[in-house]
Amino acid sequence: MSVYVEVLLGLSAIPPLLVLWRGPSLWDRLTGAASLNLRVTLFLAAHAAFSGHGLLLDVALAYAILGFLGTVLLARFGERGER
Amino acid sequence: MISGVPLFVGLFFLWLGALGMLRFRSPYCRLQAAGVADIGGVTLFLLGLILHSGWEATGGIMIALILFLLFTTPLGTHAIAKSAFVRRVRERK
Repeated sequence: MSVYVEVLLGLSAIPPLLVLWRGPSLWDRLTGAASLNLRVTLFLAAHAAFSGHGLLLDVALAYAILGFLGTVLLARFGERGER
Repeated sequence: MISGVPLFVGLFFLWLGALGMLRFRSPYCRLQAAGVADIGGVTLFLLGLILHSGWEATGGIMIALILFLLFTTPLGTHAIAKSAFVRRVRERK
């Protein structure tokens, strides 16, 4: 069961990657980046729970914090309009 | 084995969010699809992981991760939407 869960979760990261690649505006790309961060965090947590490496869960928490900071900083950057 | 139910329901919501992002065309519609469906999917998926691996192994950090994502995902969505609204991105009729 764990293999199916990890494969389905990894495949669900492909549509945000496509949106991040060919989004017409900056905000489409930001939406894709935020969704991709969420899926990477979930994949780290799932691999920590399925394989028993508890250290990966701390990595997932740090990745969630850094992903949120990156999303908010890039959104503020796009708000002021300095390209 | 009971942990498979919230895991696969959470994966279903995550797939709904991902396909909605591909389907819609404007940034607000994409934020609606991604921001609403992902929060339910994340919460159910992490609850399923707690049920799978037991409370003693990874329970506390999983609860911290659920609470953190539950608070910061709407903040990120709101930051992106406000940024698009300030820069005069409007819906095309």
